[in-house]
Amino acid sequence: MRLLEARELVVRFGSVRAVNGVSLAVMPGEIVGLLGANGSGKTSTIRATLGLARPSAGHVRLFGAAPSAGSRRRLGYVPQTLGLWPDLTVSENLAFIAAAYRTPPPRLPDDLEPVADHIVGRLPLGSRRRVAFEAALAHAPGLLLLDEPTSGVGPLERTALWDRIHVAREQGAGVLVTTHHPSEAEHCDRIIAMVDGRVAMSGTMSALLDGKETVVVTTEHWPEAFTRLTTAFPAVALTGRAVRVPAASMAQVRAALDGTDAHLTVAPATFDEVFATIGRRR
Amino acid sequence: MWAMVVKEFRQMRRDHRALALMIALPLLMLVVFGYAASFDVTQVPTRVVGPAAEQAARQLPGILEVVEVRAEQDADEARDALRAGEVPVAVVAGASQVRVLVDGSQLFTARAVAAGLASAAPTVDVEVLFNESLDTAAVMIPGIVGLILVFIGTVITSLGMVRERAAGTLEQLAVLPLRSRDVLVGKIAPYFLVAAVDLTVVVVVGVVLFEVPFNGSPWLLALGSALFLLVTLGVGLLVSSVSESSGQAIQLALMTLLPQVMLSGLIFPLEAMPVAIRSIAYVLPLTYFVEISRAVMVRGADLAAIAEPLLLLLVLGIVVFGAALARTRRDLVPARPRKDPTARQQAGPVTA
Amino acid sequence: MTFGLRGVTVQQGGTTLLHDIDLELSPGTLTAVIGGDGAGKTTLLRSLVGLVAPTSGQVHSTPPGCLGYAGAASGVYRDLTVEENLRFAAAAYRLPRDLIGQRIAELLEVTALAASRARRAAHLSGGMRQKLAFACATMHHPELLVLDEPTTGVDPNSRAELWRLVARTLADGTTAVFSSTYVDEAARADHVLVLDRGRTLTAGPPETIRGGVPGQVVRLDGVTSEAPSWRRGRIRHAWIAPGARRPAGAAPIEPDLEDAVIVAALAASATRHREEAP
Repeated sequence: MRLLEARELVVRFGSVRAVNGVSLAVMPGEIVGLLGANGSGKTSTIRATLGLARPSAGHVRLFGAAPSAGSRRRLGYVPQTLGLWPDLTVSENLAFIAAAYRTPPPRLPDDLEPVADHIVGRLPLGSRRRVAFEAALAHAPGLLLLDEPTSGVGPLERTALWDRIHVAREQGAGVLVTTHHPSEAEHCDRIIAMVDGRVAMSGTMSALLDGKETVVVTTEHWPEAFTRLTTAFPAVALTGRAVRVPAASMAQVRAALDGTDAHLTVAPATFDEVFATIGRRR
Repeated sequence: MWAMVVKEFRQMRRDHRALALMIALPLLMLVVFGYAASFDVTQVPTRVVGPAAEQAARQLPGILEVVEVRAEQDADEARDALRAGEVPVAVVAGASQVRVLVDGSQLFTARAVAAGLASAAPTVDVEVLFNESLDTAAVMIPGIVGLILVFIGTVITSLGMVRERAAGTLEQLAVLPLRSRDVLVGKIAPYFLVAAVDLTVVVVVGVVLFEVPFNGSPWLLALGSALFLLVTLGVGLLVSSVSESSGQAIQLALMTLLPQVMLSGLIFPLEAMPVAIRSIAYVLPLTYFVEISRAVMVRGADLAAIAEPLLLLLVLGIVVFGAALARTRRDLVPARPRKDPTARQQAGPVTA
Repeated sequence: MTFGLRGVTVQQGGTTLLHDIDLELSPGTLTAVIGGDGAGKTTLLRSLVGLVAPTSGQVHSTPPGCLGYAGAASGVYRDLTVEENLRFAAAAYRLPRDLIGQRIAELLEVTALAASRARRAAHLSGGMRQKLAFACATMHHPELLVLDEPTTGVDPNSRAELWRLVARTLADGTTAVFSSTYVDEAARADHVLVLDRGRTLTAGPPETIRGGVPGQVVRLDGVTSEAPSWRRGRIRHAWIAPGARRPAGAAPIEPDLEDAVIVAALAASATRHREEAP
């Protein structure tokens, strides 16, 4: 059963088509990453999923039916702002949200036990995110919608948060994650990249990165090389002292260097390099 | 430094509410203080009763403006009329003597009449009803009760919804499977209870400490207060639903508070205001509460007497609440997302 | 040492925000300060630009006129338009009047914000706002550029553009330092400092950090182990501390920067627990 399905979804605000024919689906047990700049229609797509925006054309199906308060009850949502009341304690927040979902308040995991009576607003971000997750998972939702779930936390906490997400997935939930970052994208089974209201790219991380290469230029005259290359190609960047030129061939780079003495190699393209060039084509 | 000045001006130009406050408010204050701030009552509506009414009516000093002559009524009926708030002064023209009945709950009117009569007709018998000592506290405290209710009802409630928006939890409320009316009632109920307790405390303190009279039925006061409270809560909710930050909410709440303080008859008597200014008072909820609380507490008036202000409060309440509900529902179940301060969406056109 | 911190400790209200931090910023290099929320990144950068006075230690920085700073809240005035923000920055940095117009035009073009010059900053996307903050901070060609979380919440396109902008200033000889919660962003820097709870977790060039992992990092393919482990996508990596035994079936792998930082955090946590144990 498709937990979430959008078919040729169009969402309009006045004359502007924020979402212009998007189709996607989330199945149980999979993690789907939704990628896109602000203005790409990503946020509007999510709002349509939540029933907060009405489709102008096409449709959205949550658990097989149009989004409603009933189907939202089977959804777990963690917005970017976390959706927690900062002046209430951890327990109070969980109690209220669980009550709204008509489920008993969840038992706190061991690492949150000590802060049960702490005011949420005073907790560090990592703990707040953990609480937000527990609140969203209390009613055992079939579909999880997470908006930039690990933004702002350190590496160790990030993996801990993802562990929690994977636990939910292993129990059968489907997860839709919005993300900007490769270290989150690596957890996704599939990535969907949106540009200007449409799906620009879709597939697994490895499939999307497969075969994509970047020309790496190492030279003593790196400022000169960089200046020459950045005028000739988009998305040129420095890594240490090496200049990386994605989406170009060695011959093209050699030509653009115009005689500057440099050593050229080819390396696999990074996530950022692949996705930075999508928007550019438009 | 100049750059700083320029920047501040540019920001100020865009902050429409602050501009309104800085330009509109001084103007408003000027108008009010110019026209409304007067304790001088020059004309007092008067009813003349008793057998010698016709004759007495022609001989009354200028301050008393005769609006009705009812020769068939007697002193008791005149007192009832005063209690009901029909007129502030009645002249009982008996066969042998004339007596002037003055409503003590209309403080400045009463004082003006007393002063006017003292100079024009010192021998006439003046009887002050309901607030015999013309005590200011007796008249002000009922109004202050209203002021406190406005403060809680509007200013504090206005922060309620804004807090949600500022903390980003409004989004969460929209997604949680809650009904809009659950949210609304849940938001208002605690404030209503607290205000009710506050009201009781103030009234008790007023009566005990300041010896404010309480001649009427507590139930009538409770009824009037409940209605008034609902209206002010509605205003608070409306303010919060159109405000993006707590700063804006307070500004707007104060803008609704200030005219009520100045024009509701709490401080400056309505009778002393020119008609144009006075008509503003009639859309302000506090005006009606001042009337009701003075009528019930000082004059001991009955339900019939306060029926009109009660009804008008009810109408105001329905209008305000309806608007607040509509706005809140739009926040919680939008068909399209509103522009909000944490928006990450680009507001420009998206070209396909 | 041109710029940097030496033995800097910052205490505020009873909490130690930074403890004995050494950071050297060699001229013309890019330094990354990595850490989670509350690690002390913002405090460190603020000390560098003089917004926070250290309780002890020394800060070597440039005078304010040679410094460019874009704070975490992006320091952009939301009520003003792009152009108005740039003009204000130009005036604040006392750019000579005849140069202002040209410089602003240059910055607008380089940041691709020219089409949005009349748009209010509040209506820009996160990525565009960061680019604007960057433009304001580099208005006066600073010697030292300090960027606090310039890419947090920014989409890949805008992120790539931002890094290109940073690279340009580096090519011009500016010294730059930025903070981030993502370890992989550190890979593009010449020097990395990883903070944890106000203390240095590990520091050095990215390759040195990667190569300096004590013990081994292995891949657990369905193997359970008592060794501390963490998730990378669908697989788990585990850290076999020096002297510990590698579980059977767990293949050793080359740790990447992310692995190296996690191991450093785990090692520090283990030391802390040992110290706290009775």
